[in-house]
Amino acid sequence: MTVKPGDPVSPLTPASDASKSHTTRTRVPPPETPEAVQTRFRVIAAFWAVIIFLGFPIWWQTTSIYRAHLPIQEMVDWADGKTCRPVYPLEIHVAAPLLQSPESQHLLRTTQHTLDDLNEFAAHHLRLKLTNDTSDSAARVVEDSTSTLRNTAGETPDVVLTVRVLPEEGLATPRSELLAHTTQLDVFYPPSQIPSPSTSNPPLSVFIAQELQRLYGEEKATIAHILSGESAGLDSTSPQLTESISRRLRRSMKYAETYHLSFSLFTPGSVPSSWDIEAAVQEYLSPLLDAFEPISNFTIDTQVQLYATFSPMTPAPIYDETEAAWTLKKEDLSAFINAAEWPLNPSIGNGPTLNFILYVPDPSQSPMVVKENRASSWIVPQWGGVFLLNPPLEKDQSNPAHLSQDSLQSAFMTFSHQLLTLLGTPSTPASLPLRLQTLIRVRAATLLLSASSTMGSLARLTESLPSIPIPANVASSVSTTLSHLSATCSHLRDGRFNAALASARVAENEAERSFFEKTMVGQVYFPDEHKVAVYLPLLGPIGVPLIVGLMKEVKRLLAEWKAKRAAA
Amino acid sequence: MISFLRLLQALSLLLLAGFIVAEHTSNWAVLVSTSRFWFNYRHLANVLSLYRTVKRLGIPDSQIILMLPDDMACNPRNAFPGTVYSNADRAVDLYGDNIEVDYRGYEVTVENFIRLLTDRLDEDVPRSKRLGSDAGSNVLVYMTGHGGDQFLKFQDAEEIGAWDLADAFGQMWEKKRYHELLFMIDTCQANTMYTHFYSPNIVATGSSELDQSSYSHHADNDVGVAVIDRWTYYVLEFLETQVTSANSKLNLGDLFDSYDESKIHSQPGVRWDLFPGGEAEGRLRTVVDFFGNVQNVEVENANTTEPGSLKEDLAEIARLAEKWRKRSEEYSSILGNSTKPQPENQHSPAAHLTPKKAVGPTKMAEDNSWGKRLVGLSVVGACTAIWVAGSVLGASSA
Repeated sequence: MTVKPGDPVSPLTPASDASKSHTTRTRVPPPETPEAVQTRFRVIAAFWAVIIFLGFPIWWQTTSIYRAHLPIQEMVDWADGKTCRPVYPLEIHVAAPLLQSPESQHLLRTTQHTLDDLNEFAAHHLRLKLTNDTSDSAARVVEDSTSTLRNTAGETPDVVLTVRVLPEEGLATPRSELLAHTTQLDVFYPPSQIPSPSTSNPPLSVFIAQELQRLYGEEKATIAHILSGESAGLDSTSPQLTESISRRLRRSMKYAETYHLSFSLFTPGSVPSSWDIEAAVQEYLSPLLDAFEPISNFTIDTQVQLYATFSPMTPAPIYDETEAAWTLKKEDLSAFINAAEWPLNPSIGNGPTLNFILYVPDPSQSPMVVKENRASSWIVPQWGGVFLLNPPLEKDQSNPAHLSQDSLQSAFMTFSHQLLTLLGTPSTPASLPLRLQTLIRVRAATLLLSASSTMGSLARLTESLPSIPIPANVASSVSTTLSHLSATCSHLRDGRFNAALASARVAENEAERSFFEKTMVGQVYFPDEHKVAVYLPLLGPIGVPLIVGLMKEVKRLLAEWKAKRAAA
Repeated sequence: MISFLRLLQALSLLLLAGFIVAEHTSNWAVLVSTSRFWFNYRHLANVLSLYRTVKRLGIPDSQIILMLPDDMACNPRNAFPGTVYSNADRAVDLYGDNIEVDYRGYEVTVENFIRLLTDRLDEDVPRSKRLGSDAGSNVLVYMTGHGGDQFLKFQDAEEIGAWDLADAFGQMWEKKRYHELLFMIDTCQANTMYTHFYSPNIVATGSSELDQSSYSHHADNDVGVAVIDRWTYYVLEFLETQVTSANSKLNLGDLFDSYDESKIHSQPGVRWDLFPGGEAEGRLRTVVDFFGNVQNVEVENANTTEPGSLKEDLAEIARLAEKWRKRSEEYSSILGNSTKPQPENQHSPAAHLTPKKAVGPTKMAEDNSWGKRLVGLSVVGACTAIWVAGSVLGASSA
């Protein structure tokens, strides 16, 4: 028989072994020395030590995916609306300079009572507060109606409206007057109707309550609509109002920190080739953009494009004898913009672009209007607006070469209006500061909801895709988002809407950043057979000798151990 | 209490909000060719033909993401330099003078494609290279190239698996990046690519079953290679001859019914089950819901006086502008009084409109250069002194 090298018996009986081999005429290698066996054991052990203590950790380290811990449950709760129930307490100051204190107190109480009775949407309610320094504060309000929008600091609730109650001779019933560019509502009442503390429901307080209800009716419906998703918000809202609200939400742009406004002058001929655009923007648009400052920022670019033709698919304008004008049919307006050829996608900056097009028709087709209502402008939802400018022709029947600031006035006023519409400003009440305030509250609601739902999306994503990495900055963005969301919620609860919008903006930004984190792209999916195919050519040749060597060593050690035990 | 309950109910409905949205508000198209090299001319022609069609139906360039891994128009083997044709009659030059390629050459990778869909891009990537779709967007995704069972090859170097694509769409749905999505793919064994999709509101269609090849339609002998694939050719034939205007009422059912296996030489497939309402509902979506662009323009009536109408707004904006002018006048007059009187500013009401001064170039480095020069000069001086001293000493010792 042949003796295996490493057999524990062989070194002990060399003579007999040699004689045996001699007799069987087979030559065997000389027996291994114990040192050689020892060396081989060490070599194998060293290989395995490197594999186990170096190779395996490195493999583990380099192939594992870093997943930062995220507060999944909290994120899901935000998305489900369990953490925060947005409420809108609007603080309204009432000033009654010519009423006695108990009378005004009583008026306030009864008005508040009537208001609460009228209100059916608990999340949005009006809180009245009596002020005494009437003339002062009212004057200040008149003065700084726009700057009150910017009052983000301070712990006190924002005053959304000041109601001044004034007597006026010769009135049969109370009347109200909303000062158009302020946040002040003047209510005039006949002196005979001074509410005495005894009457439980004076007509004046009913009147004030109804006026306030009317002022904030649209805002309330809008917020209810947003909070309830796309389903009908309030029962009492007229279907007309619901329709107009959902239409406005549909056509308005998604909220962005920065919008890019692009003003383009298109004309099919060679003139007009210049316009007083800088002055026009400064004069007609800057005030509005400044009023929007607490909500969004804007960047502006302009261009003049000559020889801009309609696309061949656009139906040509038709001359209308009775109107003495070239008319475009309303249903053809969607094809008016030649998307294929007009360079309208500057893609500058990082905000979404709102396009405003000033089209000066060819003299042979001037004046050009919309057939149905002789309008000269229209809005393309979520995209921008178009204005047809028909400047007076020169003597030689050509368009003027230069458009002065004055001739641009109507166009830029219209663009301002279109901008208001596209940014989702509500149409009532009839005071721009009030409408912007409403927009702040509406935007705060939408941002709160969208940031919360992004949190939920991220939570579900991390659960459903175990192979994508989650870097640490995602976790920090998430915690920033969550803290700003709760700040938004508490600001809303305390009636500080500017502060609420500011933190909602941060929350939205951070939420987007965490979801769209650049490194969070999952490793490309490999089926298991691919993995085997990758590893086998490498591990096969290396693994077989290593494993066989290990097995032999283990066998030898076992045999040695058994022999020892037998000997003992 | 009732209103509180209603609010709770409303909040619970929030989750469902995405499903209730009735109509889409914008259209996006992602058109991807994945193969390089001259002999794959037809794949670029496929994509460019579709690009031309969606543009014709009104999707602006800013809402089309076009990925072309090679530039056939400028290929030295192109007998018609600067042009790409998808038909041997060479009637329509697809390259034209107005095409916007968003991802070109080696930018077309699996990673970039997935990043595009999920918008996980660097902050400095321009908007034209981003898919800016939202919860109201209908997205058309068209891919063509060489593929196999559950993969599509990108650029001869890598491949995208059906799983990756499904996960990318899943993430898009999770972040409300589409309203409805039409996925079209023309490659060998194309139908295997959409088998793993799991997110709702997707209609998927492919050119060939498992173990089937997709064939090219015809070759142009002068160009020297096949110019278009069969399935794409017949889809385009339908779109070009039937869907002639953006107001077309033809629906997806009509499009898919137009598939003729005897012409296409493979079995095209359609997957409906992810679409709410399944096939019955999905067939009713019009073709221009995905290939066209919605534009429900709203004409403003200049004569109505209801709140929020044009007239009212104009009055308010005019008031705002007026107030601003007054304020800036006051401001400038205060400035004028406090410093020195500026008579030329007094009479012009638009004093604040003085054109901005052009900003000249400024130096970016802020450290003081003279100090550095001094240091450098002294170092040079010291070295020279040492050298001189050394040579003098060396000369004297020798």
